[in-house]
Amino acid sequence: MPLFLISALVGAVLSGISLAIFAPYVTLRRISYMGEALSHIAFAGIALAMISGLNLTFGAWMFVSIVALGISWLSQKYKIQEANTITIFLSLSMALGIILISLKQDYTFDLASYLFGNVLLISASELWALGLLNVLNIAYVLFFYKELFYLSYNPEMSKVFRIRTQAVDKIFYLLLAANIVFNLKSAGIILVTAQLILPAVTAFNLTCKLYKAIFISVIVAIISALAGFAVSFALNLPTGATIVVCQALLYTLSFIFKKGRR
Amino acid sequence: MISFKDLQYQIANKTILEDINLEIPDGVFAAIIGPNGAGKSTLIKLLLGLIEMQEGSVIIDGIPQKKWLKANSFGYLPQREEFDRSFPATARDIVLMGMAGTLPWGRRFNKEHETKAVEVMHMCGIGEKAGAQIGSLSGGEYQRVLLARAILTDSKYLILDEPEAGIDRPGVTSFFKLLKKFNEAGKTIITVSHDLHTLSKYCTFLICLNRRLHCHNNAELINAEVIRNTFGDSVRLIEKEY
Ligand SMILES: Nc1ncnc2c1ncn2[C@@H]1O[C@H](COP(=O)(O)OP(=O)(O)OP(=O)(O)O)[C@@H](O)[C@H]1O
Ligand SMILES: [Mg+2]
Repeated sequence: MPLFLISALVGAVLSGISLAIFAPYVTLRRISYMGEALSHIAFAGIALAMISGLNLTFGAWMFVSIVALGISWLSQKYKIQEANTITIFLSLSMALGIILISLKQDYTFDLASYLFGNVLLISASELWALGLLNVLNIAYVLFFYKELFYLSYNPEMSKVFRIRTQAVDKIFYLLLAANIVFNLKSAGIILVTAQLILPAVTAFNLTCKLYKAIFISVIVAIISALAGFAVSFALNLPTGATIVVCQALLYTLSFIFKKGRR
Repeated sequence: MISFKDLQYQIANKTILEDINLEIPDGVFAAIIGPNGAGKSTLIKLLLGLIEMQEGSVIIDGIPQKKWLKANSFGYLPQREEFDRSFPATARDIVLMGMAGTLPWGRRFNKEHETKAVEVMHMCGIGEKAGAQIGSLSGGEYQRVLLARAILTDSKYLILDEPEAGIDRPGVTSFFKLLKKFNEAGKTIITVSHDLHTLSKYCTFLICLNRRLHCHNNAELINAEVIRNTFGDSVRLIEKEY
């Protein structure tokens, strides 16, 4: 197998794992809309970074982090109807991103690869970044397991019982932003949210223990990445999309398994 | 001791609480009574710091509330707890939440914590359900889980907002008997309740609230007129229930 294929395969697996570790929390906290919004906002972030000459991924991460913290702060403070506000935010940032990119015509920007993802384009340094991100994810989930558990159960009650969730919640959004931005290259703006939900809902069909769900979610992501990669390579299909279809298939299987067990 | 000083609270120009001056001494079994919408839950949420104080102040054990809350917590049972039936937690996990704040980051519960939680659950009559998924519990069973959680905080104050909601008749009596036991062991109890009948047997300090305080004192001093002032015509309705 040529080197670029190996690194693409490793990239797909690492990317799947990093999203799968966060997926159970995104599902339990019912913030999949955040994933959707942040991936689109990341597009504006990338455009901004491009205009200002920053490193694209890093610039976008900073931008998305700020917006993520802002949204979570606003929604806590004013208990606003999140869905509407976020849809507005999402469309607006997409529009701004497109305008910004069109202004910078001399720059060769592969829009399609950001929209749909192209794991073949992943570079060695991006692989290292994904690896590091996974280490951070695992450390975060292990170290703050109890706080994350109660934060997901009920943030207000966590506050009453003085569980130290405030910093944990902030780090959550910083890491969520990082997981989305660093995976745009491989998963794509449009499909990254699918990988942030499907492995977790599959896992919750199979277990009612959180630590097991995280584990199963990761397994689902790895299987899907390997299978999706193989199938897409054999049939010459887009990799990111094929991986998502594999995850959806596994979800369907888990659903049938759950129904059958009743 | 908990004292409220000149408390006012408004939502969108509507006065919810007015002129609340109240001292709840340590060791009492206090009940807050009043009709629906009287502001009982609002008063409790202000005390817990769940909503921002607007006017007036709360002093707990001689310390301003904000400062007290930094170092202490209340054993609280909310009127309604939003929860997701499919959330992957057992009843014991929810009870352990009561002491999760005492453990630093990175530290898990050990056997000792778990044994203590199950012990308290047995006291609350829910011990056999310790390992049950929360989604499988009935409303009344969940309420007992929440009581166990409040007790597990080990706070000297137990603050309960309609704890008997959803609990069957014999259950309510054993619930209050249990509270009485904790009261005698030194805990101060503040409970919101609509069950005047049961309250009359257990509580030692009555707070009649309907936007303003209509009285707060030793429970024996309560007469029909104060009750009528607090509840208006609804009082008859409540008596008929039992
Ligand atoms: N978030 C809110 N927005 C608008 N009004 C509110 C809000 N919360 C409470 N209120 C109003 O405050 C008043 C007091 O509410 P509160 O929940 O404190 O009453 P309560 O005495 O606990 O009633 P119940 O016996 O029904 O529990 C009510 O009239 C209610 O309409
Ligand atoms: Mg109430």
